[in-house]
Amino acid sequence: MTSISKAEKAYIQSSLLSDPPLRADGRGLIDFRTIALESGIAPIANGSARVSIGRNVQDGGGGTEVVAAAKLEVESIGDGEGVDGGRVVCSVSCSPTAYPLLSPNALDDLQHDMTSVLNATLSHPTIRPKNLGILPGRKSWLLNLDVIVFSDAGNIFDAIFMAARAALWDTKVPKTKSVQYRAKKDDRSDATQAMDIDVDEVTYAGSALDTRQTIEVADFELPDYWDEGEPLDGKQTWPVCLTLNLLPTLHFLDATLQEEASVPLKLLVFYTFPSDATPLLRGMRLLGTGVSDLVQVKSLLKDGEKYARNVWAALEGKLKDEDLRRNQKARERFLNR
Amino acid sequence: MAQSANDRRRINGPEESFPPVFDDDDEDTQLKTQRSRAPGDIRPIFLQPGLISQANGSAYIETEKTKIACAVYGPRQSKTTTYSEKGRLNVEVKFTPFSCTRRRAPMRLKDAEDRSIGVSIHQAIVSSIRLELFPKSTIDVFITIIENDGIEGCIASGSLAASTALADAGIEMLGLVASCSAAIFGDDIRLDPSEAEARASDGTVILACMPALDSITSIWQSGQMSANLSLKCMRQCHERCIDIHSIVAQSLLEHRKID
Repeated sequence: MTSISKAEKAYIQSSLLSDPPLRADGRGLIDFRTIALESGIAPIANGSARVSIGRNVQDGGGGTEVVAAAKLEVESIGDGEGVDGGRVVCSVSCSPTAYPLLSPNALDDLQHDMTSVLNATLSHPTIRPKNLGILPGRKSWLLNLDVIVFSDAGNIFDAIFMAARAALWDTKVPKTKSVQYRAKKDDRSDATQAMDIDVDEVTYAGSALDTRQTIEVADFELPDYWDEGEPLDGKQTWPVCLTLNLLPTLHFLDATLQEEASVPLKLLVFYTFPSDATPLLRGMRLLGTGVSDLVQVKSLLKDGEKYARNVWAALEGKLKDEDLRRNQKARERFLNR
Repeated sequence: MAQSANDRRRINGPEESFPPVFDDDDEDTQLKTQRSRAPGDIRPIFLQPGLISQANGSAYIETEKTKIACAVYGPRQSKTTTYSEKGRLNVEVKFTPFSCTRRRAPMRLKDAEDRSIGVSIHQAIVSSIRLELFPKSTIDVFITIIENDGIEGCIASGSLAASTALADAGIEMLGLVASCSAAIFGDDIRLDPSEAEARASDGTVILACMPALDSITSIWQSGQMSANLSLKCMRQCHERCIDIHSIVAQSLLEHRKID
């Protein structure tokens, strides 16, 4: 966390409270810095994205930079920790280059805190995607969402959640086929006989009309497919985060490190805007040493919803553009080469 | 050499062990989420300050299945050499091995769950303490969870215990902190959910406030709900916190009278 002198803190606070409000880079109170987003940056991961806020246009450095990647692994229900229908586990790790002044212990604590905020929002049972199951009651997908913070120039939570949403939007779940192994009934004497693999249809040695035996699917396989699988369900359910930095009489968005250190309280709100329903509040956190009251919280939630809607619309437009760029346009370029 | 999980001071059981599965575990979750009290009622609170004589201040809180002991040491000299103009508040939470259904290893040092509860309680009480009166000092709050009935209950009861213990220690505060949790089922709000209720709910809200100053110190909402429902929930929690505040004040007064 940046250490800031009392004089600088007072300077930043009084310029924000002046009329018109002034910020160091000349932005308005609700203006964001430029946000750059790229998806599919880690080809080995099932879904990935990189978000940077406030990058310098000249050299591409500076600013808050976050990379999120989703990786799927299989876990068993019952013996392991699996849940029927799959689950999502998130983790945030901060590169020491992002916080060069923090000791390893303090860095660990910061990682823990960010992980718990991310987990509490994205791993909640009500947000679980529907296509993470493999074999009902036996095997399911565990989606590990790992977020790495490479550099922090303020507004880290917005960046983390944007990257998480983009990575989950980009995630493709491999198609699985249930499989049952069955020995050939007739030649029991010949132990070297290979086992028959029946895929989804069962060929009985006896009559095909024998419906007394129920099929117990015991395992699964990954069929050879030309793409990486089907997109992860729930593109409309992953929330966007908005950090409202609070001074007693006003709030502002997208704070730089110094502005964050000068403000005693911030409110994180997580909103989703499903296309045909009312906006849902998926989480809310008050952080800092200041206090608020119900009246302020009520007006902040209303304003927060407005800002979050803008962020949501912009993000969705960009994600659709990314989809086009990587699939359709890439194919066109390949065809026209 | 891999760090052995064996603790030489204890008799270590087998490396992998699972809790026994009882017949009634399969009973309908409906039964577990039914409650015998009204949706707006919280479970009765037993709060006793002055439990740990060694500490500067202490408190023990018990609400049905949540039992938490809290000890406050301070203000005492900061171990670190960096100068801090304001005092530091350090909240440490520890689960006893027998507090949850699955045994928690006693030597687990940095557990994510312990830390997240500690951070929430810290957020709830830090704005109530007059830290500017204690430069270069630290106030240590140690919370031990003896029995655990859901994380929301732990955070709410832990904040209450911490605030009572701080008052018992005679540390100057701006007000007592009261905290209440709630679970949402569709459009219904149920205050003070048990673990089964919270797990079956659509979302939970934990609110910590200072009723004396009519200010909110901590909100933690997770799950899904509309903004209006969440505000309604917070308003109900806030009203309940005013009642809880009088319980805390009462228990502190009674304790002083006995001395």
